[in-house]
Amino acid sequence: MVTAERAADAFAGVVGAGFVRDAGAGDAVGGVMPAVVVSPGSEAEVAEVLRAAARLGLAVAVRGGGTKLGWGAPPRRCEVVLSTARLDAMVEHEPGDLVCVVQAGMPLSALRETLAAQGQRLALDPPHGVAATVGGIVAADASGPLRTRFGTARDLVLGARFVLADGTVGHSGGKVVKNVAGYDVGKLLIGSLGTLAVVTQLALRLHPMPRAVRTVAFQNLDASQAWAVWQAVERAPVEPAAVVALSPGGAMLVRIEGGEAGAEAQASALLEATAPLAPLVRVLDEDEADKAWTYAETCVWGGDPVDPVANLALPRSELAALLGRLEATPHVAAVLPSCGAAEVRLPAGMSPVDLQALRDWVARRGGHLTLRRSTPPLADLVWPQPAAGDVALDLMRSLKQALDPGGLLAPGRFLGGI
Amino acid sequence: MDAHTLRRLAAALEPGALLTAPEDVRPYECDGLTGHRAVPAAVALPGTTEQVAAVVRVCHEGRIPFVARGAGTGLSGGALPVAGGVVVCLARMTGILSVDLDNACVVVQPGVTNAAVTAAVAAHGFYYAPDPSSQQVCSIGGNVAENSGGAHCLKHGFTVNHVAGAVFVTADGRIARLGGAVCDTPGYDLLGAVVGSEGTLGIVTEVTLRVLRRPEAVRMLLAAFPSIEAAASAVSAIVAAGVLPAAVEMMDRMTREASDQAVHAGYPDCEALLLVEVDGPAAECLAQLESCRTICESAGAVEIRVAADDAERALMWKGRKAAFAAMGRVSPAYYVQDGVVPRTRLPEVLHGIGELAVSYGMRVGNVFHAGDGNLHPLVCYDAAVPGEADRALELAGSILDLCIAAGGSITGEHGVGHDKACSMPKMFSGDALTVMDRVRAAFDPIGLCNPGKLLPTPRLCGEVPGFHRVHPLEAAGLAQRW
Repeated sequence: MVTAERAADAFAGVVGAGFVRDAGAGDAVGGVMPAVVVSPGSEAEVAEVLRAAARLGLAVAVRGGGTKLGWGAPPRRCEVVLSTARLDAMVEHEPGDLVCVVQAGMPLSALRETLAAQGQRLALDPPHGVAATVGGIVAADASGPLRTRFGTARDLVLGARFVLADGTVGHSGGKVVKNVAGYDVGKLLIGSLGTLAVVTQLALRLHPMPRAVRTVAFQNLDASQAWAVWQAVERAPVEPAAVVALSPGGAMLVRIEGGEAGAEAQASALLEATAPLAPLVRVLDEDEADKAWTYAETCVWGGDPVDPVANLALPRSELAALLGRLEATPHVAAVLPSCGAAEVRLPAGMSPVDLQALRDWVARRGGHLTLRRSTPPLADLVWPQPAAGDVALDLMRSLKQALDPGGLLAPGRFLGGI
Repeated sequence: MDAHTLRRLAAALEPGALLTAPEDVRPYECDGLTGHRAVPAAVALPGTTEQVAAVVRVCHEGRIPFVARGAGTGLSGGALPVAGGVVVCLARMTGILSVDLDNACVVVQPGVTNAAVTAAVAAHGFYYAPDPSSQQVCSIGGNVAENSGGAHCLKHGFTVNHVAGAVFVTADGRIARLGGAVCDTPGYDLLGAVVGSEGTLGIVTEVTLRVLRRPEAVRMLLAAFPSIEAAASAVSAIVAAGVLPAAVEMMDRMTREASDQAVHAGYPDCEALLLVEVDGPAAECLAQLESCRTICESAGAVEIRVAADDAERALMWKGRKAAFAAMGRVSPAYYVQDGVVPRTRLPEVLHGIGELAVSYGMRVGNVFHAGDGNLHPLVCYDAAVPGEADRALELAGSILDLCIAAGGSITGEHGVGHDKACSMPKMFSGDALTVMDRVRAAFDPIGLCNPGKLLPTPRLCGEVPGFHRVHPLEAAGLAQRW
């Protein structure tokens, strides 16, 4: 084993001594303490750092804003944290193309500010949006209620630059919205939690800021009412940008975006369609709406960060059953009916047996449960147990082997111990 | 191919589902890019996933290259056989396996045509959004391989945004399930990489597609412009104004006149015609249509017509959709280029294409998906004139160079295939191509699955991409094409 000192020296030679530091308690990745934190200032330095780590046989995890270090399973090893903090520049933004190119370490909040000045946005509303970086959001495939209309990172990332564990710099896609040249390697990196490559730069599809927004809020829906309201939303002449159902409490928020006349007409149509189903409904004013959408995020992701958070995904047709099941628990949940997914905050003391019971319940209905954030004793149960002989998992292992044969990028953090 | 292998292939299939007679396999020698041809030793016509897997296992054991093929409408030679290899033709796998509207999903076999998916759900008010021009005949398997787009992908996205899951036969004949009707499948997004991989990673034998509810309203306008640059500026302005139309299509004078002769859509006489379609809730559509009209007026449109009803809208589309075929009236032959540029660069790139045409003394028609910057220049030539086909290809190649210089792509929807494999280094660094090769090897370590496509091979990439010609190495007997 290489000493921390020797590793730090090697990295200091690449990035300068000022950008290598000893790791502290806040740098643990899934509870595993690294020795050093390195902050390269360019893609070339990222490559050099990774080559140096590979020479020394050190395992590397990537850190952006540090908001999701508890995501994924605890890595088997992690000696080095590679921070993208200094890779925080906007590389290119052509407003007329609705495309921008950013370095991976750019905080989402900074990106939002820059884009808002041009009346544009990245249509992603992941948790921890203030501190999280674009690269981290993509590597964790984090999203929020806006996925109802705009999808997730896979629908918004147009191109990627990245560095493999051996220092090879790759890129895929481009900076145009339509492009089928080559393999879309970027897709493989989305949600990979830094186990295949270090993302250094992303080209993103942007959307215009809506000219008008209406939030229609329903209250006190029980599970069957919530299901009925969602079905009415789906059939009404509206194109909601976001729909989220919250448990407990039975609130449902529907966000409508468009032109002034269009948004107003859609809100009216929605009220009309749902009138017989839900008595407690109204259009929120701007201030109330901001608070309501913030609550929809923080009710799950706020609170004590040691509370585990699970992603449950089910066929949409099982939504009524899911809402019913959640209603019978004290778990705080934000359900996205358009895709059948829910983010559920579980109690900190939840036993592995109870988690397994919930996972089995989801699996029986054709879905799956993955822990986003976890702490012991649930940290070993982050991923579902793969079925024996799962060929897709074999392919994932081959892919890991092809891109990171030494197993140096966050080994063990991913599905199946990858 | 030896008799033993042929017997094993036949045994993997229903009786009569292995074609080996020269006259039977000849029709499979090319796809829509007819300039490239290679005759396979055998064509397998499987009917099930298991049969595909069994055929692939035989190929794998015998180290025989194989190429999957759907309807053969591809324009980049992606389904070009390997001479002496096996073609796995999925055209018989035409089952719609399930229609699950509660989950807005349809599960189909790969030979189902694109249009048949919409037909299966239309009565319930749903449709399948990606609509490549060949949608009446092209197959979903081919759409998945090419990540097909179409006129309406501007708002609704490409095939990859609508494929939720797939059953996938690996290059060694195992069967994997990728994704599924339920979102957020744990693991790497293998499906995202397989869609658009042009059949080089394995064979998709079952596809779960997301279908959408029909929008409440669809509205369309056409705008006539005095120059192609003015029309292009209007496109940029529409996008920049925050309007996201379902489709924005452009036709220049040559393609419009050809189309008018063919289907009499009654388009106004102009240098450039823009078609803009918006969909969504009725009030929203109306407002967006008004925005588009105002923008077109400020950009110098000399005439704007709004389709009064679906019949008029259908007529506006008819002229656009007929344009490619109608070009046959204008030119005995043409080469369709497929390049992409950032939308703000459309005016200068279109101007550049015009200048190239003048300098080559050749005609280039433009009919394309303007909203996403996807150009389809039609380079006209007469094969009877010696050297003209080659010059057409050279001109088409120069157009790609313009696209790349503007920050675009060498292909927006037709794929790299055989046609553009040697152009990949124009867009990707050597290291980037190496990484893609490593991805490929993770799926297909011995390179049997549609070899020679998508990535450049040092073997023959000294030559100019385009129609088949004998490479100097081949002529000298030093290299062999397979």
